[in-house]
Formats: sequence, structure tokens, C-alpha cells
Amino acid sequence: MSETIDVTRNDDIRDEPAADPIVSPGRRTFLKGVAGAGAAISLIRAVDARAEGELGYWAKDLPAAKQVQMYTDICRIRWHERTMADKMLTDSKYRGYDHFYAGQEAVAVGVCAALRNKGNFDEVDYVYSSHRSTGHALAKGVDMKKMAAENDFRATGLNGGYGGEMHLSDKSCGFIGADGMIGPAPPMATGSAFAIKARGSKQVVVVFAGDGTYATPHFHSALNNSALLKLPFIYVLENNLYHQYAHYSLSCPMKDIAEAAGPYHIPGVVVNGQDVMQVYNVARTAVERARAGGGPTLIEAKTYRYYNHWGAPGAKPGELGAFGYDPLAISSFRPERELREWMARDPVDISRNVLVAWGTLTRAQADAIEAAAKQEAIDAFAWADAQPYCKPEDGLKNVFTQGSVAARQFG
Amino acid sequence: MAKKSWMYSVLEAVQYEMRADKNMVWFFELTPPVAATPGKPVINLEKEFGRNRVVNTGIDEMWMAAATLGAGLAGSKAVTYIPYQGNCMCFQIIQNHAGKLRSMTGGVASMPIVYILEMTGQTPGFGGQHSDYEIDSYYMHIPGVKTVIPSTPADAKGMMVSAIRDPDPVVYLYPAGLRELMEEVPDDQYSTPLDKAAVRVVGSDITIVSSGGGMPDVLDAAEQLKAQGMKPEVIDLRCLKPMDTDTLVRSVQKTKRLLTVDQSYYTLCPGAEVIARVAENVDGARFKRVAFPDSAPPASPEMFLWMRPNAGHVVAAAKKLVG
Repeated sequence: MSETIDVTRNDDIRDEPAADPIVSPGRRTFLKGVAGAGAAISLIRAVDARAEGELGYWAKDLPAAKQVQMYTDICRIRWHERTMADKMLTDSKYRGYDHFYAGQEAVAVGVCAALRNKGNFDEVDYVYSSHRSTGHALAKGVDMKKMAAENDFRATGLNGGYGGEMHLSDKSCGFIGADGMIGPAPPMATGSAFAIKARGSKQVVVVFAGDGTYATPHFHSALNNSALLKLPFIYVLENNLYHQYAHYSLSCPMKDIAEAAGPYHIPGVVVNGQDVMQVYNVARTAVERARAGGGPTLIEAKTYRYYNHWGAPGAKPGELGAFGYDPLAISSFRPERELREWMARDPVDISRNVLVAWGTLTRAQADAIEAAAKQEAIDAFAWADAQPYCKPEDGLKNVFTQGSVAARQFG
Repeated sequence: MAKKSWMYSVLEAVQYEMRADKNMVWFFELTPPVAATPGKPVINLEKEFGRNRVVNTGIDEMWMAAATLGAGLAGSKAVTYIPYQGNCMCFQIIQNHAGKLRSMTGGVASMPIVYILEMTGQTPGFGGQHSDYEIDSYYMHIPGVKTVIPSTPADAKGMMVSAIRDPDPVVYLYPAGLRELMEEVPDDQYSTPLDKAAVRVVGSDITIVSSGGGMPDVLDAAEQLKAQGMKPEVIDLRCLKPMDTDTLVRSVQKTKRLLTVDQSYYTLCPGAEVIARVAENVDGARFKRVAFPDSAPPASPEMFLWMRPNAGHVVAAAKKLVG
């Protein structure tokens, strides 16, 4: 029998109210949080672990050091974003005009925590990223200083100033790279997964892509081919409700994009993208399945971005989020109250509160970690500021592996 | 008459045609068909004509291009605005379908459709993928598709009118770098031909040919050259296919010197075609090409601005050719 109609739903758990975002220490709240993790999985299909009695609450085994690292990475991403916003708003010498990831940190960190991020290139898991790449890069292990330098187009930046934020790439940690286009990255990622399967190297490929990718032919091609070929591939669709300025309901007939996995006979999972542990749980299930040869998973993380689509219009120095006017939105503006509602379910707060509730950290320790992350971001941008600019004539290099092309602008 | 931007002029033309033809449709993604200009009413096609005729699609340029073609084959005038992020995602539909259907059907298929393809590639920091000025070369190569590239708001309006009324598919390139250009544009509907170049500056020493986003720098260069005593003639191609060979040949027969300027890559840039056509028809002329090197545009402003053809490059190249 086909497993495709065997949709497992636990209605008792599903109907539980979502966990209170402001978790106070205590056993009762902790249990409520656990129930919330179940509630987030509104659609999950024939996951092997479930069949063996595994609840999929993998966070139960996370060592304290790893929990702390996850929280630390969330703080690092948050303060990288905030520092970058302030650079854009206050430093006229900063040339980067970037896309922000703030608000979505728990997705990148929860997924990457389930991946291999260190090792040789035929050992690490691969991540393909979107144009909103800075969070994915940091979660995967990209050096913050070099990334900050790249985003300001410095010669010693991550990619020598050739790429910038939408084209970041770091093979050393398996970060295949950002992609400024909407569509091609997911099927490209399945190609990497195909190569991995063909050579038997037991790696897993993740693509982070937005809700805007649903409408592209590439979305369906990636799911179809990865399902047909049982590829070690995970499509992490970050549904932050808007592609650029258009609400996803304009391009997708379903409320949950994860439902799109159904016709391809692969698991489609909805997760609360604000909660790093819930993201980790579903990512870990998908990674185990992929590595064991079970094929792909589509994860839809419900989340939100705190800034506008591009750059920092509407934002103020020192303040988190962009509430003001964005001329690029032309005629469609997201409601300020929607943004404030999502900020009340903040991924930094949630991860901090969970670790305090678990007794992993005291609030003072958590605050100290965040302060250190802020300092790291300030130091990274200061380092980047001191890096050399590119040499103009180097623009003729790196077209091919060897040599350079001719200058043609002089006639 | 009022000062109007490039896109206001375009939407004014479209609004008139959509009011006149209740069947005409518009497809867009991400960028709503909205434009404002001081002292004139805001144009909002989506609001005025409703979502039944003006559709906001998901990010799917393949569908936009194919659906525009299909609407045209069904007998409705159709226009789509494809932003620069996706202006080659739709290539197959335009190249292998729109461009060939009239021929393949023995003249039966009619396609009153317009593909507005936004181009960028003039902005430091955008990096490789968001810099795709080279599509002028790709699309002008296709038989059966008229490929035009207006460089002024007035031409943008007149050529849009012609493009909509033309029964053949038109690729209408919009250099986003011209977004802030403003000039006096008539309020009345008028048409500008899709097969004529424009002589922007009359001169006798050298012919400088460019198009679209290259024009502001070329006109700036011409002013500098005139101030130095040279008499350059400047031609704005406007139409890449069909190309106005007569205007080009006439000019170079007079000047005997031809300098082409493109923001596109050197290999197969529009100027390469210009030089080939002139070389076939004018004896004893000298030629030079200024173009972007055959490299993806790097993000770094130092590298990019050094590589991007500018007025200084045009002045220096013109002097080499004339001197």
C-alpha cells in the first residue's frame, strides 16, 4: 500500500493551545512548551522514527553545551542584523544594502544544529541559501568578520568583494551559497543531493527558500525529482508571509505550503519557526530520514522578518525592526500590528526562556551571552571597516579558473 | 503636457489602451503597475481595471511569459512586466514559442503582446545576478520578436503604444537606470515607430551609437567633445530588431568613424551588429567598440565602476578614433 495517504495526525496534541511565548521557569510551563512543540506539527507523514515509538522530541537529548551554542548563535545572528541595520542607517561609508534575517533566527539555527557543519567537503552537510543569507551563513559556521567585510565589498571579504550579501559562499563549512534569484537554488540543491547519493558519501543537502519560491516551477521540480530519486534533500521553506511586499496568499492557494509535499509522497511538516527547539526537532527527523536513504522532506517554518524586504527603510538606529514607510513597497504595506504581534513571539526571547526553564542557563548567564554576541558583531564590523578595498582591475579575474579577460570599456 | 518619468509615461500609454480595449490584460509579479508624477493623477492599473484583468502572480516568470503569449493567441492584447530578477527565466517562451509561432503556423498565429523586461546592471553593489544588462544581446537575436529599448520617457510612451498595437510580439526593454529620468511628455496618445533609430546630436566628425541605459553617458560625452571642438553625431538605436541600418549607414558615410557604446558584454553586444552592418555598406570607415568586459559584474564598486563604460571612456575612445 502506498504510504502517501497515511497522514498521521495527533488531534489531541494538535488542538492544544500554543505555548506561551513568555515562558517562566517551572515544570508546568516546561510541559506546556513540549505540548507546543507537538502542536506545531500539524501535518506529518509516515516518519520512520514515529513508527518505532520515537516522539521526535530530539531536543530531549541535546547536551547543555549544544543548547547554549544554539542560543548563542541566535544572539549572534540577531546582533549581526542589528549592527548591520545601524551601519546602514548611520554610516555613510558603509556600502552594503542588505536583506535582513532578523526575526527568523530560530529557523536557520534549529536546522543547522541538526547538520554536520565541520569536516572535509565530502563529509559536511551542504546548505543552499536565499537572498536573505546572513542568518543561514552564521548558523552554518561562516566567519562573521569575513562576511561583514564581504557585505561591504572588501578585498579580504569572504568572496573577495566579488559577491556581496546575495552571493556569499564558504565551502569550508558546506555553505554552498546564497542565491539572489527566486527559483533555481532548490533544484540545484537536489543536484548536489543526487551527487551525494551517487557517490555514497552520506551527506545531506538543505535549501533555505522563502514562501515566494512556492509559485516557481523550480519548487515543484525540486520536490518531484528528489522524491522520485529518494534524494537526501530537505526543503526548508521559510514562510515569513511576504515575498518582497506581496502576501503569500497571492501566490499560493493553501494556508500551509507544507501540504504541497502530499502529492509527491514525502513528509510535509509545519513548524513554529520562532522556536528553535521545535525547528530542531523537525529538522533532526528530516536529517535522520535523509541520511538513512529515506528521501526528502519539506519543512515549512512559519516565521516573520522584522525589517522590510530590502535595506533598512522604515528602521531607526538602535531600534529593532522597521515600522516606518518603505517607498519600495509601492502600494502594499504590511500592518504594523502584524509585525508587533510577531515580535511578541521573538526567537531570541523564546530560546532564552526555554533554556532558563530547563535550568541550562540563568537569566544572568543568558544576558551575558547576548552581550558577548553584540560585542562580537560590533568587533566584526569594525574589523571589516579596516579591510582594504578591491583593486579595480581585479574585476577582470575569476571569470574562468585561469587567466583574466580583456578590458573592453576603453574601446 | 507635463514632466513625466519613464514608467509614468509607459503606464499612461497602457491605461489609454486598456480603457479603449476591454479585453486587454496585464500580468505582473512583485511590482504593481502604479506610477505617480507631480501634478498628475496617480495611475494604478490594478485598482482601475481590477484583478480580473490585472493579475498579481506568484514569482513565476515562466508562467507570466507563457500566459501572456496564450492570451495573445486567444485574441486579447496582453502585456507583462517582468522585473530584472527574472528577465531570462522567461527566455524559452519568448525565443522558442513567441518568436517562432507566426512562422511555424504559416502566418496564422497572431500575438499582440508586449514583454516589458526590466534590466539592471548599472548599480554598484548589486553583484552578478542582479546585474543583467546583457539581455539586450540575448533578445535581439530572436527572429519573429521585435526588440526595442527606449531611452527617454517620450519614446517610452510612443513606443509602448506602437508595441501594444503591433500584432507581433514585442520585447520592450526597460533600463531601470533610467527610472528617474523626467521630461515633458504629451498627454495625448501618440505612437513612435518600432523600426527607427533617433539622431540625438547632429555632427560630422564621428558617429557614436548607443542605446537605453548607455545614452545618458554618451550624451554627456558628446557635450564634452563638442566643448573640445569635435563634432560628434550621436545615434540612439531605440530598436535593436529590426535595426535601422539606413540611419546608421547614412551617418557613417558622412563621418567615416563609428564608435559603439554598450553596457552589455563586449562579445555580441548590440554595437557588434551595428559595426557589422555599417562595415558591409560603408567603405573606408574606422571602428571602435566600448562595452562591458566579458565578465559577470563584480559586486565591489571599485571593480564595477572601473569596468562599466562611462562618459570618460567614450570621450577617450572618440579622441583615439578621430585623432
